[in-house]
Amino acid sequence: MTVEPVSEQMLAVDGDVSAPGEPATMSGAALDLLRIVRINEEIKRIVTVAFKINIMALNAIFLAKRAGNAALGFGVLSNELRVFSKDLRESMMSLTRQIHDLVVEVSAVLQDSRHDDIFARATREVPDNAELQAVLARRETRHGEAVERIASQRRSLRLAVDDAARLVELGGVLAKSAKIEAAYGAGFATSLSQVSGEFDGVVEEIRSSLDALRRSGFFGGEA
Amino acid sequence: MKTTQTIFEEGTHKWTAIVRDPARPDYLIDTNEYLVQHAGQGLLLDPGGSDIFPAVFSALSAEFDPSRIVGIFASHQDPDVISSLSLWLEFNPQMKCHVSWLWSSFIPHFGGIGDTFQTLPDEGGTIALAGLQLQAVPAHYLHSSGNLNLYDRQAKILFSGDIGAALLPADRQGLFVEDFAAHIRFAEGFHRRWMGSNEAKRQWCERVSQLDIDMLCPQHGAIYQGDDVERFINWFDALQVGIMRA
Repeated sequence: MTVEPVSEQMLAVDGDVSAPGEPATMSGAALDLLRIVRINEEIKRIVTVAFKINIMALNAIFLAKRAGNAALGFGVLSNELRVFSKDLRESMMSLTRQIHDLVVEVSAVLQDSRHDDIFARATREVPDNAELQAVLARRETRHGEAVERIASQRRSLRLAVDDAARLVELGGVLAKSAKIEAAYGAGFATSLSQVSGEFDGVVEEIRSSLDALRRSGFFGGEA
Repeated sequence: MKTTQTIFEEGTHKWTAIVRDPARPDYLIDTNEYLVQHAGQGLLLDPGGSDIFPAVFSALSAEFDPSRIVGIFASHQDPDVISSLSLWLEFNPQMKCHVSWLWSSFIPHFGGIGDTFQTLPDEGGTIALAGLQLQAVPAHYLHSSGNLNLYDRQAKILFSGDIGAALLPADRQGLFVEDFAAHIRFAEGFHRRWMGSNEAKRQWCERVSQLDIDMLCPQHGAIYQGDDVERFINWFDALQVGIMRA
């Protein structure tokens, strides 16, 4: 009987290999953990940017008030952008919670994988010890359950990232609409255009971050 | 794979040394494990680090049914002594770990739950193995601050943990000390550096001098037997330890 370590039997994503920029020797749970950490860093970046939108929107609301009737539409959109910023931060907080659960799960698999390997070696040395085989079988079952939980968490996280991406699409529409409204800002048109341009840039930055998340090797992508 | 050698046998009472793994990577210190058997039960002394679990398990299995190991004795808390604990416990969750009280909340970081640990007080105590009474003997600060040896009065064997340890070169891998003067050179640096207290060393030498010992079995290196036991105790008594010139 050939006994392979459980950690080598089930990689986190079918056919998973390290992507460019990832250590070539890394695979399975270790690679997953690295990818999760990188996703988390990207989420932290988005949270910072979302906070920036909130401040920008607040300033835009004051500017629209000063512009008066000519910037009524711009004011409404600025308010919506503040709501967008709040929704985005909540969405990112939810992603962070999911990431935390994943880190706990994947870390446990990573910790177990060394012991799986040791037990597999022991079983190769003593192939006819029934109790040892039972330990290995229990570990395999436990590992299989953990892999299933991780797969489920991975799907949930991907869905949550997709939801966040849809939210950002809405933010993009709001930013573009603010650009159009800025053109009707009479004497404040230049200032309003500048602010709406900044909104657009920031939302694009978030969109780009979320695209990077969706392309992560953790979800089977190449980034 | 490690090899096993019976160093004492009388009826069902047996001591087995599990030693010398040629496949051991150079970066791991070599360790000796000992199995005490009595009336079908086993007590494993300093079972070793997690990485050598397969080698210890397989060598031991060739000699004894590992499911009949009822307990582990850990002389102290070092990883080369007891980091395999969780693996042994996974094999048999009922196994007990006998250890100084000082490490009872540290060693669980390697594995085990509260019920796993049978803590021993500073003055030592008795460990029963199927009717055999084994004595945990204080050896604190030599080198660990909560350090115990294990004495088997019937077999006249003292398991001395790191005391008596020698870091032997590849061409001196015999199980027993054959030439004390030549051997002790490989023990001197270890004892000077690892042993922290001359006072504790003095007390230990006095304590074990009163025991009837045929074999002094360290966790590293070779076993002292016969007159070499007394030679070692006298040598250790005279050695200045706990001094390092940085």
